[in-house]
Amino acid sequence: MSKAKAGLLQGTLDMLILKALFLGPLHGYGIGQRIAQISGDELKIEEGSLYPGLYRLERRGWVESEWDVSENNQRAKFYKLTRTGRKQLIIEEQNWERLASATMKALRAS
Amino acid sequence: MSWIKATTRFLHAWRYPDDIASEVEAELSFHIGMRTRSNIEAGMDPDEARLAARKSFGDFDQVKTECCEISRSLPVNSTVLKMGVYLILAVLAGGTALVTVNLPHHNLSGVLWQLVAIAVLARAFIVGRRSISTRQFASGIFKTKRERFHNDKVLSSDVSEKYGVGIAAHDEQGRTPVERMFK
Repeated sequence: MSKAKAGLLQGTLDMLILKALFLGPLHGYGIGQRIAQISGDELKIEEGSLYPGLYRLERRGWVESEWDVSENNQRAKFYKLTRTGRKQLIIEEQNWERLASATMKALRAS
Repeated sequence: MSWIKATTRFLHAWRYPDDIASEVEAELSFHIGMRTRSNIEAGMDPDEARLAARKSFGDFDQVKTECCEISRSLPVNSTVLKMGVYLILAVLAGGTALVTVNLPHHNLSGVLWQLVAIAVLARAFIVGRRSISTRQFASGIFKTKRERFHNDKVLSSDVSEKYGVGIAAHDEQGRTPVERMFK
């Protein structure tokens, strides 16, 4: 069966980044990998677009960053979820579930 | 407390725009390095792996500029709030200027206070101006002399290609147009 890669809907990138960081601090590259991993390789984020998203989240205070040493002994910037970010993730998940169920309802209507 | 960190970061970005630019560059380069490594592990040769990593990343400069812009934007989302902050800053600057002008300067302490206020205003002006010009350079609104020269060169070569004007700076023997005329 051919696996069609799902295109990322507008506005879902923030939620996916927050979700990836919910599992623990990561650098930008790791976030992309984790999103691909938790979505069963169905969602591939355009690598470059991840960083403006991360900077926006940091500016809103939902994630914070600090420089540390990566798994291969290189300096890397690690991001982690803040308390506000955790709360925001819950809100985003609820909104997403509501939107998904409403869309399904509309599609199943005869 | 995360908004305090966001505000501190914003102020740092305005105060030290070059630091932010090099920090962003280091972060993005790390990403490309990791992707290159992963491509090599997947069996690509190093050059091919680096090229593929660059390609999958997209426009490096554009991403860098965008990240710098976001770092330098106010940590509030509402336009009304942003306008409010700018208004407060303008009132503060204006107020300081007014106080400076009206400070009694017939004694030494008055003159000293006036000088301090002028120094603060001048410093604020320099920092603000430098940040704005760095931002404009980063976004490509303004270009350095070297960049303008490079762009002009590209443009003129485009024109000659378009209209079939075969003006080559050096011929097959490596001679310049002047050398070709005299030899």
